[in-house]
Amino acid sequence: MNKVLSKLVWFAVALLGAGALGKIALQRGESLNAIWFVLAAVCCYLVAYRLYSAFIAAKILTLDDKRATPAELHDDGRDFVPTNKWVLFGHHFAAIAGPGPLVGPTLAAQFGYLPGTLWLIAGAVLAGCVQDFVILFCSIRRDGKSLGEMAREEVSKRGGFIAQLAVLAILVILLAVVALVVVNALKSSPWATFTLAMTIPIAMLLGVYLRFLRPGRVLEASLIGVALVLFAVVAGQWVADSPSWSHAFTLSGIAITAAIILYAFAASALPVWLLLAPRDYLSAFIKAGAIFSLAAGILFVRPSVQMPALTRFIDGSGPVFAGKIFPFCFITIACGAISGFHSLISSGTTPKMILRETHARFIGYGAMLLESFVGVMAMVAACAMQPGVYFAINSPAGIVGATPEAAAATISNWGFPLAGQTMTDLAHKVGELTLLSRAGGAPSLAVGMAQIFSSTIGGERLLSIWYHFAIMFEALFILTVLDAGTRVGRFMVQELGGRVWKPFARTGWTPGILLSSGIIVALWGYFLYQGVVDPLGGINSLWPLFGISNQLLAAVALVVATTVLLKMGRTRWIWVTLAPMAWLVIVTMTASYQKIFDPNPRMGFLAYANTLAAQVAAGKIPAAKLADTQRLIFNQRLDAVVTAVLAAMVLVLIVEALVQWYALLSRRREPVLHESPYVMTQWAPDFAGAAHGDD
Amino acid sequence: MRAGLHTGKRLLRSIWRGVREWCGDAAYERYLGSRAQRTATPQCTLSAEQFYVEQLNRRYSHPNRCC
Repeated sequence: MNKVLSKLVWFAVALLGAGALGKIALQRGESLNAIWFVLAAVCCYLVAYRLYSAFIAAKILTLDDKRATPAELHDDGRDFVPTNKWVLFGHHFAAIAGPGPLVGPTLAAQFGYLPGTLWLIAGAVLAGCVQDFVILFCSIRRDGKSLGEMAREEVSKRGGFIAQLAVLAILVILLAVVALVVVNALKSSPWATFTLAMTIPIAMLLGVYLRFLRPGRVLEASLIGVALVLFAVVAGQWVADSPSWSHAFTLSGIAITAAIILYAFAASALPVWLLLAPRDYLSAFIKAGAIFSLAAGILFVRPSVQMPALTRFIDGSGPVFAGKIFPFCFITIACGAISGFHSLISSGTTPKMILRETHARFIGYGAMLLESFVGVMAMVAACAMQPGVYFAINSPAGIVGATPEAAAATISNWGFPLAGQTMTDLAHKVGELTLLSRAGGAPSLAVGMAQIFSSTIGGERLLSIWYHFAIMFEALFILTVLDAGTRVGRFMVQELGGRVWKPFARTGWTPGILLSSGIIVALWGYFLYQGVVDPLGGINSLWPLFGISNQLLAAVALVVATTVLLKMGRTRWIWVTLAPMAWLVIVTMTASYQKIFDPNPRMGFLAYANTLAAQVAAGKIPAAKLADTQRLIFNQRLDAVVTAVLAAMVLVLIVEALVQWYALLSRRREPVLHESPYVMTQWAPDFAGAAHGDD
Repeated sequence: MRAGLHTGKRLLRSIWRGVREWCGDAAYERYLGSRAQRTATPQCTLSAEQFYVEQLNRRYSHPNRCC
């Protein structure tokens, strides 16, 4: 009886999900309530988790709770810590959820709400969650080894080296592009700049508190910090209202770029307890609070989505970024559907803390589902605003015009009615000088979030506070990615440098720390600077580059996963990882080719460089702008080379893997798995993790 | 009524414990517990301050925050 009831319930959930998906896919010409997005996503996630992840766990990976995990075998209370599955889910989610699932869907909204939403759901269920889950499993079975180590052991030595290089490359581009999002959010905004600047002394105060006064008391310190940050958000309004203070905090894009580069250098070189770690604690609490509030706000307000299902920009002529719906919708969404970077977390801390093998399904597959849901919420927030406003905020001035009237005229001509006064009024309401051409996704997401929050609490009176809270939330955790990433990059540079000159690899040697920090900051700082001075807005070229590199890393992870499945004798089921891998290779290679060779100058790096070079040769560039133009030409060619190198590295790895797969399938080579030996668990079946402390 | 209160109290206690574990507040207690189980040489046990700094240095030397 229970079985029949359970089947009926799951059938009803599936039916509801299908109905909601049908509603958002087929509705045309009428406004659509956001609740349909929530229903479609949640029902699909539930069905996928119940059926698909269970199938992978039982049939393919054959998870075994009697097998001891690395946390049990090597429990040292430091790296290897058996952790309750709910707590570890929280850890893992906090680690994988960055700005990507918020910014990517916001940018992809230029195609309309439908393509992005469908890819967020389908991509996560069939690709992103599978990658995170399988890589987590592989790492658990190998004592918590990293993706690079697994690639070296299971695919080839060269494969491991390529994976390491790909990680460094993606790190550099990732840091540049997220920094660019912050620059565009803070540019000419004294309120936002002051609030974010205040988070630095607040973090340092917490650092001293946690180091000397109450060592390790993270919870109480974070609560003090969160209260101070919220006060800084309110105080930002006083700064913006004061002519002298406002002047001091109104900075140009270049000035903010310099400040961010200096900050990241300091965060990388200073002791980690002083700035980096306390900022991370602050960021984790505010991130959890803001994401929960956004979900609650959407459910409470149930806003209507105003963006059409599909816009005219699916043809590639979009103002936010150039490129057709295929492949650029899939590249732009990035982390909300699948992210190669997650495989570094799934083969980093999490496998060393997992209590039982079966928890890998809940943590690996489940946390990615939640990340996808964050992406769907960001899509709703972006599409709930008036489409004209969305395009005015996200389009570069070079395309829509520099004044509200010019932008309104251009955008209205595209079929999205907008009055210039609307933008002026909106900027005034949110406490900004202007909202025009604030490309990068953060300001438009902040407007969307502020509209949802203010409809819940405070009305229009609090719109400006909510807007700056949202900007602070986005910028705070982007800076966390930036300083943590710079530090990790520093270690990678030291490791690579150590191969040439050994003392350089010593992580405690001050000249080595300063030099390696300088190198990594210079690498991403250069890409950031080129994005800031790019007349097309920077996001147009850097975000696709980031998407391509991130998805290529996902392809690397799926190559490793497929090789492991083949060696495990799961040939019948390798489509589970092979199909998403093939899709990612098709998407990223098409995007790479188009970004390099497309004849449209807005799209192709080389075409843009050649157009500018022709203008220089024809004497059409004024002498004052000649140096800038030459630099722009160099930057476009550099972007083309970086894209080509990334694509080539992954192709080499795939060829290596194909050779290996052929040898395995034709039985020319014995499958040798590098799993740790089987050890039976000593824990009782109901053991749920050691509890210490409060009780 | 009493059973309900008891369940509520237990639930709140597990949530509190979960939050402390999640944010790292209970890390040192966990470390001490692990040491107590595995070794009988308390001289080698790190102080709260040493443990905190050492733990941060290790945590932030590999990718631990994603995009």
